[in-house]
Amino acid sequence: MSTKTPSAPAEAQELAKKVPRLSGSKKLFRKVEPYIWIAPSIILMAIFIVTPIVKVFQLSMSKVTRAGLVKGYNNFENFTNVLKSPAFSLVLKNTIVWTIAVVVISTVLGFMLALVLNNKFRGRKVARAIVVFPWATTLVIQASAWNFIINKDYGTLNTLLMKIGLISAPVNWTPTPGAYFAWEIACGIFVTIPFVTFCVLSGLQSIDASYYEAATVDGAGYFQKLFSITLPLVKSSLTVATVLNIIYVFNSFPIIWTMTKGDPANHTDTLVTYLYKLAFYNGKQGEASAVSVIGFLILLVCASVYMIYTLRKGDDDL
Amino acid sequence: MKKFLATLLALVMVLSLAACGGDKGGDTTPPADSGNTGTTAPPADSGSGEKTAIKVIAAEYGQNTKQWWADFVTDFNSSHDNIDLTVEAVSWNDIYTVVNTRVANNDAPDILNIDVFADYVADDLLLPIQDCVSDETYAKFYDAFLEQSNIDGTIWAIPDLASARAMYYNKGILEAAGVEVPTTWDELKAACEKIKAYDSSIYPWGIDMTTDEGQAAFAYYIWNNGSDFTDASGNWTLDADANVEAIEYAIGLVKDGYTNSDPANETRYALQDLFGAGKLAMMIGPNSIPTYIADNYAKANTPAEEQIDYAFAAIPTNGSNPSVSAGVMDRFMVFDNGHSDEKIEAIKEFFDFFYEDERYSDWVLMEGFLPATSAGGEIVAAADPSMAPWVEIVGSCKFYPTAKAEWADVKQGVINVEQQALLGGNVKELLEDLQAQIAG
Repeated sequence: MSTKTPSAPAEAQELAKKVPRLSGSKKLFRKVEPYIWIAPSIILMAIFIVTPIVKVFQLSMSKVTRAGLVKGYNNFENFTNVLKSPAFSLVLKNTIVWTIAVVVISTVLGFMLALVLNNKFRGRKVARAIVVFPWATTLVIQASAWNFIINKDYGTLNTLLMKIGLISAPVNWTPTPGAYFAWEIACGIFVTIPFVTFCVLSGLQSIDASYYEAATVDGAGYFQKLFSITLPLVKSSLTVATVLNIIYVFNSFPIIWTMTKGDPANHTDTLVTYLYKLAFYNGKQGEASAVSVIGFLILLVCASVYMIYTLRKGDDDL
Repeated sequence: MKKFLATLLALVMVLSLAACGGDKGGDTTPPADSGNTGTTAPPADSGSGEKTAIKVIAAEYGQNTKQWWADFVTDFNSSHDNIDLTVEAVSWNDIYTVVNTRVANNDAPDILNIDVFADYVADDLLLPIQDCVSDETYAKFYDAFLEQSNIDGTIWAIPDLASARAMYYNKGILEAAGVEVPTTWDELKAACEKIKAYDSSIYPWGIDMTTDEGQAAFAYYIWNNGSDFTDASGNWTLDADANVEAIEYAIGLVKDGYTNSDPANETRYALQDLFGAGKLAMMIGPNSIPTYIADNYAKANTPAEEQIDYAFAAIPTNGSNPSVSAGVMDRFMVFDNGHSDEKIEAIKEFFDFFYEDERYSDWVLMEGFLPATSAGGEIVAAADPSMAPWVEIVGSCKFYPTAKAEWADVKQGVINVEQQALLGGNVKELLEDLQAQIAG
């Protein structure tokens, strides 16, 4: 200690001497340094995000042969072909129904589940872990399991109902494309609920208990507390969850592909499965890229609406 | 110093990232193509500087394909000092994307083993196959098979194997229901009715109209109604009256409740499972069904008394029309990569080696397919008597018109027609629309 103490000012002096000598290069380095640190991310983003997006836009306006050769620009022919196709309006309608149904229902159910899981009860940790399961399983496995459950010939639902005597013969749970689509939506909701639940739960846990105590003292009922305290305070988490959900669900591919491949005759197709079929079954990569661009633009509009909404509200509110 | 090191590290990262997008190896400079996943090539040796490199992309037919090609490459390279062969076996799910990407990046394989070829011809990517195969090997193929790869008088590909379809029936169910094996559509309908009356929990007839293979169902019914996709001069005749009648008959079987409940979503594999489980009495399927069912029984340890007793027969036809089996054929084609004469010779040697009778029959038997050469057919029939009738069938079956450029659209189009018809659409109108769309 005694030996070190006198040397400290000496080091400081030495450093002070060095500083003016290095200041020029150091200044430059300070300026450049942040860019160096973010360069890897920027390069990765450029390679894996920007390049494919630019490529898809390029392909959507090009004539692409079935063998994959790009034969120059054909203006908006791919877009007009897609829009002219009778299947497209059906597919677009399906996509909207799919997105709204899955997002709205899973948000409502996920919110309710979060309220339940926020209460203190025995086995709460186990219950929370169980909610994570559907989230942690691959979507293809989930969809295959659902297909296995509802199958008429060897499905577990029919077997169960027959064992307990509710039905005497196997029921065809998917007699129409609409019914099949409803099952797909149900599967979509099932796998989306955990995400909403955990977003809301994190919001709920940050609410100070004193708000509820004060409200109780003032004589507020359960629903008054729910709508006047809980909802406004978890709104920010709920909004983020909803926007992310819209993007995920809109672009979701595995459930529909595993369960029906969009059959019969595009009746259960969404934009993503439709463009996959166009590209890899019909060999129309140009048109598939056009569908992809249309999907991108729709999501861009949704995201922009969200951005404008949040910017207007300001940071305080969200 | 620390900052300097960190900066250096960052720069190294950036450079290594940039290096990831490096250029591809030249076409003919060995060792070629050594970094691809699934490549079954042996490690390139340093002394291969003067060797002619041949790059092959082959379809992975099943679990034995990759190993078969690995052994083939070892045998070939050890007996051909001047050639460096690499074979990349790619699964059917990925092969189209892989090939298209390679073509788009000017890195097409020298030889490709796949099912389609017309799209590559349309883009002038292939060499006439006769230029790349020795006369002895070329003479081995069934003429009917070679004709399937004929566009404007040029043969662009040679078949590597085939499979054929027939009607399979569950002997036990047919016997119990008092039904003879149906040979005509009327008999088939009557048989379905009797089976339904015998046990309503059994599906009498299997139909697959899915995106996977709905075009096969279309072919079974129109071909066995004496009709076809095209007329004799090769013009599309999708809305021919006989085609409308055939599809209406098939849809009628579904509407009458004689088939599996969801033909638009139940693939042939689902039907094969139902058939193997004794829940489906009859279905049309490929020659590989016995292998498929036996594998399933082995996997599930199914006791012998629960296994079905089945046989196959000709596909039922309408009235006195001759029964037509549907054939599926895959091919080898050679890409026009500006090959030198040595390289063409090397490619010829590859094909000679592949189609040596013993080796070729081994290739065909490896995944339970049918041979496309007459000599191969004889060997296969002798090796496995159960294959003998199939070898006969495959020599005379009909094929999809894959040589026509519109085939990909027609294929998806007829599947769409079937599925629309299942939903209640008018078959005639749907086929007329498709015909107008395809033929313009």
